[in-house]
Amino acid sequence: MNFPARFRSWLKWITNGRRLEGEMETEVRFHIESRAADLVRKGLSQQEAMRQARIDFGGIESHKDAVRAAVGIRWWSELGSDLRHGWRLFYKNPAFSAVAVLTLALGVGANTAIFSIVNAVLLRSLPYPDPDRLVRVFFNEPGVGLRDVRFSKPELDDLQTRSGVFEDVTPIFEGSEDVTGAGQPERVEGVNGSFNYFSMLGVTPQVGRLFGPQDFVPGASTDAVISDGLWRREFGADPNIVGRTLRLDNDPFTIIGVLPRGFRHPGPTTSGDAEVFCPFGFSAAPFPPPMRGTRILVHGIGRLKPGLTLAQAQARLTAMAAQLRRDFPTDYPPQARWTIEIQPLQETLVGKVRPMLLVLLGAVILIVLIVSLNIANLLLARASGRQQEMAMRSALGASGGRLARQMLTESMLLSLIGGAAGIVTAAVTLGFILRFVPSNVPRLNEVRIDWVVLAFALLISILTGLVFGLAPALHSAKGALTSAIREGGRGSGYSTKTGRLRDVLIISELAFAVILMVGAGLLLRTLRDLLQENPGFNPTQVVTANIQLPNPNESEADPYLDIPRRATFDRELLRRMKAIPGVELAAITSALPTTNSNPNAVGGLAVEGFAIEDRPVESSQHLSAERIRISPDYFKVLQTPLLRGRSFTEGDEDGKPLVAIIDESTARKYWPTQDPLGRRVRFARDATKPWTTVVGVIKDIKSDGLDIDGVPHIYVSTYQDNSKRLSVVLRTSLPATQLEAQIRHEIQSIDPGLPVFGVSSMNDVLDRSLASRRFSADLVGGFAGLAVLLASIGIYGLLAYMVGQRSREIGIRMALGARRGDILRMFLRKGVALASVGIVAGVVFSASTASMMASLLYGVRPHDPPVFLIVPLLLLAVAALASYLPARRAMKVDPMFALREV
Amino acid sequence: MGKQIDLLQGTLDMLILKAVSLGPLHGYGVLLRIQQISGEQLEIQQGSLYPALYRLEHQGWIASEWGESDNNRKAKFYSLTAAGRRQLHAETEKWNRMASLIASILRTTSEQI
Repeated sequence: MNFPARFRSWLKWITNGRRLEGEMETEVRFHIESRAADLVRKGLSQQEAMRQARIDFGGIESHKDAVRAAVGIRWWSELGSDLRHGWRLFYKNPAFSAVAVLTLALGVGANTAIFSIVNAVLLRSLPYPDPDRLVRVFFNEPGVGLRDVRFSKPELDDLQTRSGVFEDVTPIFEGSEDVTGAGQPERVEGVNGSFNYFSMLGVTPQVGRLFGPQDFVPGASTDAVISDGLWRREFGADPNIVGRTLRLDNDPFTIIGVLPRGFRHPGPTTSGDAEVFCPFGFSAAPFPPPMRGTRILVHGIGRLKPGLTLAQAQARLTAMAAQLRRDFPTDYPPQARWTIEIQPLQETLVGKVRPMLLVLLGAVILIVLIVSLNIANLLLARASGRQQEMAMRSALGASGGRLARQMLTESMLLSLIGGAAGIVTAAVTLGFILRFVPSNVPRLNEVRIDWVVLAFALLISILTGLVFGLAPALHSAKGALTSAIREGGRGSGYSTKTGRLRDVLIISELAFAVILMVGAGLLLRTLRDLLQENPGFNPTQVVTANIQLPNPNESEADPYLDIPRRATFDRELLRRMKAIPGVELAAITSALPTTNSNPNAVGGLAVEGFAIEDRPVESSQHLSAERIRISPDYFKVLQTPLLRGRSFTEGDEDGKPLVAIIDESTARKYWPTQDPLGRRVRFARDATKPWTTVVGVIKDIKSDGLDIDGVPHIYVSTYQDNSKRLSVVLRTSLPATQLEAQIRHEIQSIDPGLPVFGVSSMNDVLDRSLASRRFSADLVGGFAGLAVLLASIGIYGLLAYMVGQRSREIGIRMALGARRGDILRMFLRKGVALASVGIVAGVVFSASTASMMASLLYGVRPHDPPVFLIVPLLLLAVAALASYLPARRAMKVDPMFALREV
Repeated sequence: MGKQIDLLQGTLDMLILKAVSLGPLHGYGVLLRIQQISGEQLEIQQGSLYPALYRLEHQGWIASEWGESDNNRKAKFYSLTAAGRRQLHAETEKWNRMASLIASILRTTSEQI
């Protein structure tokens, strides 16, 4: 077939329809007149000849129509007239149109907004060239239950050269750095990687240059690359920035380049976006000598060589790990089963939020389905009112398909207007919505309404148009001519066929509402359980603040280089904190409870392996715990009861025997049958380190998040073992806002270069840790409420319509002796019966799919009996109420009036 | 005029192609040409000529151009395109094969089975 020619011809007709129609007219006239002229020549009169010529030609209009069909534009011109007709209906029923467009705008708008987030976070590739080749490298010790352990420089070299799978690979240190020089010291997020960090990602600078392998130095480089944001904020977008000096944690750095505006470091920075990038060689001071067993590196990120699949690369790495275990048996104890794992970088970045986002997307899709079912119901009611129109058109020769197409065109018109309104709604409110999205969702700064989102919105609009257009279309297509005219004439209305279709719509609407309510119920119960969860301490009247000690590369410039120096700082800090009026007790911890939900964060806790004295090496498998460094009063500030033994004292300091306090989980897990007091443990299983003696057992504290149970913790004294990231906890009756200035003042009188951040009450800290759960529970809960409202409007509308249509029947029933109670029950029964079927369907569906939500739940089983009991009962009550109101109106029908109405 | 034969389904297109293959014609001319070469034997519903002409043009087998008729009036003239010529050839082949096949079936006598 000659498609190009046909398409050209079709296009010609679409664009030049009016001219071509005129030409067709001329052509036909020419034919008829030529024919008439011939007939005149044969002896007919002029008038008779014209008449005969017209008869011979046949029906001009129907032939023209056949021409239009032949060139494939008939449906086009019909579409035009259907659209005009639909548009007239649209503005002739402003109330109906407004309701439909508003609910659609809401449904499509919510879908567009949520999808724009899903698209940016889950679907869109990372904004680097060939993002599929970027992977995260994990070093695991499955034998001892450890994942993502640190690695050494020789192991990094093995990845880069020996494995043969990476084009570039680098460790990533993410952390905060103190930028000093101007005004209040600022704390920015920084990233330290190898010199190939930027070539691995494939970035080009907007000013200056980026560091690369040619800049290699074995230790710490003094080159720094800064983000567009820092450049504008701190340096006023100075085009001559290159060569200027930046002080980070007291070290001077030379700025060599500025990153492009949209660049974002592909990893979980401790908070916010990374703004300073400095390279390390990792093999000379300030780094220890590169030994295989000196594992100081974290967060491997690499770019696979082109043409290599993930599975092939993984196989080679697994083989290399096995070979290394054989080559260096002392560095890789066999029971640890050390190995290397790679995962797509995007997956590791967004994997955690995927379930939440998918549940939200599911919820908004259900909402738009309910919206469209509701509109279908309204349209169906209107279609019943238009039966006479349809019967008339059908009598004049319109086919069933033609009528169905007209109804569908009207629905599509409606859905596209609603969809456009929805897109506008989403575009206008997106910024507002994003403010409520918890900040642990990555890539939020990439959320925008792009072509993919628009296409999705259009698809949703078309689908809703199909959903609510199909019912009336089928209805009108099947509408039998004679019965329609007869029924219409009789004015009784509620025909069984339409009735059944509307029943199905109501049932589905309720079923969807049940699904949403069950989802919302489960999420809300999880949230409520978490809010009531005992965190293992008393968070009220506790104020917290965070401090980051600087980490300069020049060790001479580091006043907090070793444990004794940091311990001195700790003591001074505590002395000053306790001196603040209104502060009763003060303590230090390396891990503020519930702020450490990201165990990958550097400086925070990772689970560490340890050894127990007098246990054979094989049985030390799965020995791991989180180490938390605390000052003596920590448990007193938190009011967590000591169960056995003693707390730390000021005397547990450097040079004295090392001591530890364990929590109940640790005791239960590692000393199930023995008394842990007096037992000795050793971190990192390093035989050169001294043993630490367990001196006390404390009740469990939910240190890693309210929804994380059973992680064993080992507390050590901050005077014996400490780190540069620390938090102070103060027991006080004063609010955080009132104390903030004093806390800052006291800390900066010890060291004016120290930034203090996150001053807030412990209750706020707990609250923030639930932000993401609260967001999804509130949103799904809101959608469920909306669904119930829409479903009850649906039931109400259906029954009210039925009552109106059947008022004559009601009158007759009453005249024949039916009591008002019978009438009431008749309608009530109808509504409740429909609702019950829908509810049962919804419950069955929810029960079979609820387990998909398991990862979002805590303390609540996916088949939580209360939720599955309360939701149906609640909906049944709502349905009964929604049926009662119209049923009561039916009861009040005056039989005389109803009968006279005929 | 003797009894006229109704046009077989689907043969109108072929006749039009044949008619314009002999030289450009306007719509009425196509009708006259077909009647002339069929010896006034074929009955063509005059109006149905136009859907067929437009369909053939739509398929790119004939092309149209406005010109002057014999009586100096503006008329649309149709002519065969290269694709139309190929189509006419193919249709003619098919028709001839079909006709001889049908003819041989109809000639069959009981002895031949």
